[in-house]
Amino acid sequence: MGSACSRKRGQLVHEDDLYSARFSKSGSFKWLLHTLPRSNSADVHRRGQGPAPGRCPSLMELCVAKVREDMNRYSDFSQLPRDLSQQIFNELVESGYLTEASLGAFHDCDLQDICLGEYPGVTDAWMEVVASQGQSLLSVDISCSDVTDSGLNLLKDCSSMQSLACDYCDRISEHGLKTLSGFSNLTSLSIKKCAAVTAEGAKAFANLVNLVNLDLERCPKIHGGLVHLKGLKKLEKLNMRYCNCITDSDMKYLSDLTNLRELQLSSCKISDFGVSYLRGLHKLAHLNLEGCAVTAACLEVISGLASLVLLNLSRCGICDEGCENLEGLVKLKALNLGFNHITDACLIHLKDLINLECLNLDSCKIGDEGLFHLKGLVQLKSLELSDTEVGSNGLRHLSGLRNLQSINLSFTLVTDIGLKKISGLSSLKSLNLDNRQITDTGLAALTSLTGLTHLDLFGARITDAGTNCFRFFKNLQSLEVCGGLITDAGVKNIKDLKALTLLNLSQNGNLTDKTLELISGLTALVSLNVSNSRVSNSGLHHLKPLQNLRSLSLESCRVTPTEIKKLRLAALPNLISVRPE
Amino acid sequence: MMGKGEAPAPREPEEEEEDTGGVVKLISAEGFEFVVDKKAAMVSNTLRNMLTSPGGFSETRQGEVRFPEISTHVLEKICQYFYWSLHYSSGKETTEFPIEPEITLELMMAANYLDT
Repeated sequence: MGSACSRKRGQLVHEDDLYSARFSKSGSFKWLLHTLPRSNSADVHRRGQGPAPGRCPSLMELCVAKVREDMNRYSDFSQLPRDLSQQIFNELVESGYLTEASLGAFHDCDLQDICLGEYPGVTDAWMEVVASQGQSLLSVDISCSDVTDSGLNLLKDCSSMQSLACDYCDRISEHGLKTLSGFSNLTSLSIKKCAAVTAEGAKAFANLVNLVNLDLERCPKIHGGLVHLKGLKKLEKLNMRYCNCITDSDMKYLSDLTNLRELQLSSCKISDFGVSYLRGLHKLAHLNLEGCAVTAACLEVISGLASLVLLNLSRCGICDEGCENLEGLVKLKALNLGFNHITDACLIHLKDLINLECLNLDSCKIGDEGLFHLKGLVQLKSLELSDTEVGSNGLRHLSGLRNLQSINLSFTLVTDIGLKKISGLSSLKSLNLDNRQITDTGLAALTSLTGLTHLDLFGARITDAGTNCFRFFKNLQSLEVCGGLITDAGVKNIKDLKALTLLNLSQNGNLTDKTLELISGLTALVSLNVSNSRVSNSGLHHLKPLQNLRSLSLESCRVTPTEIKKLRLAALPNLISVRPE
Repeated sequence: MMGKGEAPAPREPEEEEEDTGGVVKLISAEGFEFVVDKKAAMVSNTLRNMLTSPGGFSETRQGEVRFPEISTHVLEKICQYFYWSLHYSSGKETTEFPIEPEITLELMMAANYLDT
């Protein structure tokens, strides 16, 4: 039980991967909280009805589920041992059964964790019960709630608190933030998109000397407030992404935070001068400067940050000159140089970064010769070359990258001849060949890549003959073939790809209802797109077995919103995104 | 050690060497005795530790365990759960395990103690 609680606390600060976009419900969509299922509700539902085959529910789980069921019988759990009331509380939250009324039963229960982030309807009225947990309370999440200053102030005596999240709480003002200054035991504070974090509001942070994680993402008025962070010597993670009012003058207050390991500054208004304040942060392992107005001149400072494992310089103004400073960053595992002005001349400086696992060169001015310098980067798992001038000749330099799992060659100059050179990359799971030069011939050269799970041939000119290759890719989970040349005959080669969860066959104008019939056995499908085809209302019934379908797009087909709606109501309960609607 | 909620004893390969034969006597607060198969009792991690720890607990030798804090009607329910759980895991049981609202909290406390 204790472990379950601490796991929750740990989750409050997200381990954000800089390369993955995280979808989060934001404050302006609060109304959606009432309509969207809780993230865990499906699991809980299953648990209540009996768990997955083979796994027997514990008596404890059965009792907790029973309490939830009969919640109207209970008005006071304060006599229960704390860990039990905590489990009941967590169950009510996860299943969405907690209401203001049932919350009352948890008065004075010595709960340690109150995780109500994104829970619908949380207001000041709830905070009295939250506060009644007193010194027991270690972790609180009221993100996306309507809690105001007075609600927050009720927590003032809960000074044991170690973790607090109040992201997207737009009713909290500068004045309300003063309450935070009493939480000197806080190690983790998340307060995303809060306009109250101003030069004045940030004063409350100065007392939080035990903070290890601080998340201030999207705080729009934070300029001038970082001065209050300068004494927070224990800080290891600081997220200020999209705080687009942060300027160079703010950066100087970070210069003594020498325990910082992770610093996220994407879309801040900082220049090379601002980066110079980071010179002494020798423990920095993750640095994200995406979209900042920096140039390659800042690499001189960055080259001194020898602990860097992840460096994101995407969408900066990096040119070749100065890139020699990247050479020493040998610990780097992930480097994002996408959307910069770099050419092949820059890549020579990457050749000794042998620990690189992830390299992004999206939309850079690089070509075949540059790839020669990547030859020795044998740890590479992911290589992004989309929208570059890389052609078939360059691919020979990649044939030794045996660990490569993902490569994006969309909108490159690569043609069919080049694909032979990557046909030996048997670790490949994800391959993007969205590119008009690719035809059936090229695809035929890749049938050895049987581990592929994601194949994007969006614009490639694949015909029905080419679809014969698909039977070699039995593990495919996503497939896009939208070159316009596929007919129902080609779809016959797709119908046995049972692992598919995403299938995009749009733009193939000759596909008919027969296609829907053929794919009706692909029951794992979550997303299906057959837009711009001859699919009609009378074919829709073939989709009934696709019970996992959440997204269906049939734009510019012979279907009507009414008929799709009927289908959804009759057979496809999970369908949440529909075109046309 | 097994986590809660994982499959009970008989599924673990190493258990085959363990002595799961015989019976064990569980005694409620009021002194009422329940004789259950050892295999069933070991659905509870707490009992399992008691019954399998080498030479540790006197309970192991005497083959009986006293629960001064668990009342008879709750202990009876727990014994029923042990057998329900065994049947469920072997696929023979598909119906829900019934819990009377009157005893839910008491049962929950006992389940917590017995780690089951």
